[in-house]
Amino acid sequence: MAGSTTERLPTQSGRTPSALARRLLDLEPSGRPAWFDPAACQAVIARGLPDTRGEPWKYTNVNRWYDVAFAPRETAPIGIDASIGIDAPDGILAVDFDDPRTQPLAAAHRGKAFDLADQPLAAVNGLLLGAGVAIVVPSGWREDAPIRIPDRGPPYQHILLVVESGASVTLIEESSGFTHRIVEAVVEAGGHVRHLRRQRPAPTRECSLVAVHLDQEAQYHLAMSSRGAELRRNDVLVTLAGSAARVTVHGAWRLGGREHLDNQVAIRHVAPRGLSRQTYRGVVADRARAVLNGRIHIAPGAKATDAALNTKNLLATDNAEVYAKPELEIFESDVQCSHGATVGTLDEEALFFLRTRGLSDKAARALLVRGFLREAIADDEGATRLELVA
Amino acid sequence: MSLLEVRGLRVNVDGKPILKGLDLTVEPGEVHAVMGPNGSGKSTLASVLAGRPGYDIDAGSVALDDRDLAAATPEERAHLGLFLAFQYPIEIPGVSNMEFLKAAVDAHAAHVGLGEPSAVDFIKRARAAAEQLHLSADFLKRGVNEGFSGGEKKRNEILQMLLLEPRLAVLDETDSGLDIDALQVVAEGINAFRAADNAIVLVTHYQRLLNHVVPDHVHVLIDGRIACSGDRTLAHTLEDEGYGWLDD
Repeated sequence: MAGSTTERLPTQSGRTPSALARRLLDLEPSGRPAWFDPAACQAVIARGLPDTRGEPWKYTNVNRWYDVAFAPRETAPIGIDASIGIDAPDGILAVDFDDPRTQPLAAAHRGKAFDLADQPLAAVNGLLLGAGVAIVVPSGWREDAPIRIPDRGPPYQHILLVVESGASVTLIEESSGFTHRIVEAVVEAGGHVRHLRRQRPAPTRECSLVAVHLDQEAQYHLAMSSRGAELRRNDVLVTLAGSAARVTVHGAWRLGGREHLDNQVAIRHVAPRGLSRQTYRGVVADRARAVLNGRIHIAPGAKATDAALNTKNLLATDNAEVYAKPELEIFESDVQCSHGATVGTLDEEALFFLRTRGLSDKAARALLVRGFLREAIADDEGATRLELVA
Repeated sequence: MSLLEVRGLRVNVDGKPILKGLDLTVEPGEVHAVMGPNGSGKSTLASVLAGRPGYDIDAGSVALDDRDLAAATPEERAHLGLFLAFQYPIEIPGVSNMEFLKAAVDAHAAHVGLGEPSAVDFIKRARAAAEQLHLSADFLKRGVNEGFSGGEKKRNEILQMLLLEPRLAVLDETDSGLDIDALQVVAEGINAFRAADNAIVLVTHYQRLLNHVVPDHVHVLIDGRIACSGDRTLAHTLEDEGYGWLDD
């Protein structure tokens, strides 16, 4: 279903993102692909790659990897040359960014959910985009059939989801296994999105950005289960832009070996009477490293906001690392905001109890871990689907 | 061959001697009550029988059906037929009682080389046992001991005992924290379990449970040793006179 725009970059192109951005900007307008985003090029030139000296990227260094990632781009075709293979039920519009119908959607909605200047990898994604799909869930849509985003496609993907007023939809997303994916969603008044995200264990390096803009009384519910990868970075940014919007983020992860998971979640309350709930449970073993930075930002005027964040982490071995940090930025006094973060180990007494009931040490640990993670993904159906309880 | 044979048992906990040469023999079909004042070593005895980490045997021996328990892990002891009802039952959030009970029963089935019971058969058995203990079906779906009342937690221990059918059940202060109705229900569960081929060791501070579960033998533990043994009437004497007279 994808169209193709193929054009080879000059063979002597630089290996840095900003050099590539400059070259893209220098292309004749007629030679530019339809998706071309000069703003992304400019953001890359201004900002470059994420810097580990700043707080948001302190634990994840992508620079080393981009030395490798950019080399093949010197000769690779640019443009939308692949399909993501999204499976959307009949009645939901899903078109490639090459399709002319994308243009008005992009013009109306892109930039609402995130700012390129704050998302350096999203800007890089804009340069290297391999596939993009715009999806529109029509007003009043209420079917159960989910939209599925599979685990294939090119290294840089962008999905723009527009949920029209009053529509309700489920999104089931597999990890891309590639370099960077953006899921950008605009949920109009009264719309409802349930997003199930399953990140399987894989020896990959991948980053993603989920950016959601909620209008009045819109709801977004994310349940994310993450197994380990060589490097996995999840940015989640939800803006409650309309009054009485609601968001829940449930995250559970289980890592081992030398796996690395960096979750950066920011909930921005901009309008009054918003409600947000964040619940995270993580288990980290061996020499793995897990990061959760959970930010709650309450802007002036976001009165009667109710926000809560809770994160609990289990260290299964002495060498595992957990960095769990709630971050509160509150500029309004009429709010309720609570947070809690703990890091601990498996309860030895509970372990002994299970062993006296005949479970092996290994089986007892597995059962305790399963129960612990289920606190984040409470409904059993969801937990099974997310392979948390496997 | 006795069911449980404890000989000259000495146990230090954190370097402090708690059991100082304890002997106890339990035959199949018997109920033994081990009583004693706080700090006499009752719960240490229960812990060391079950293999709690940190409760190592320094001297003496413990054998279940002639098999030495000293080097056995807690799960190996469970497979040999030992069951400990906890004084303070553990909460396991996120794991349903049913899932936990099935895991325990399956672990036993695997050990004796039987296949796992079918889910349907298991649920039937679990429901019947719950009913026997006046616990609603909903109780099986809740997280293990999560938000249970004190009485429900103790009844849940007895439920596990009924499903696991151990050879030897060691009940550590199972009567503490129970009101009279709950005590009766728990006692009925213990009596239903009681059979010619198993045995029960009741560890308790008070004799009130012994009005409902009549022991064959009563032992008084003082300062890490059995100071005195007798039949059920010894429990009544203790109730009337306290433990003080044994010091004389």
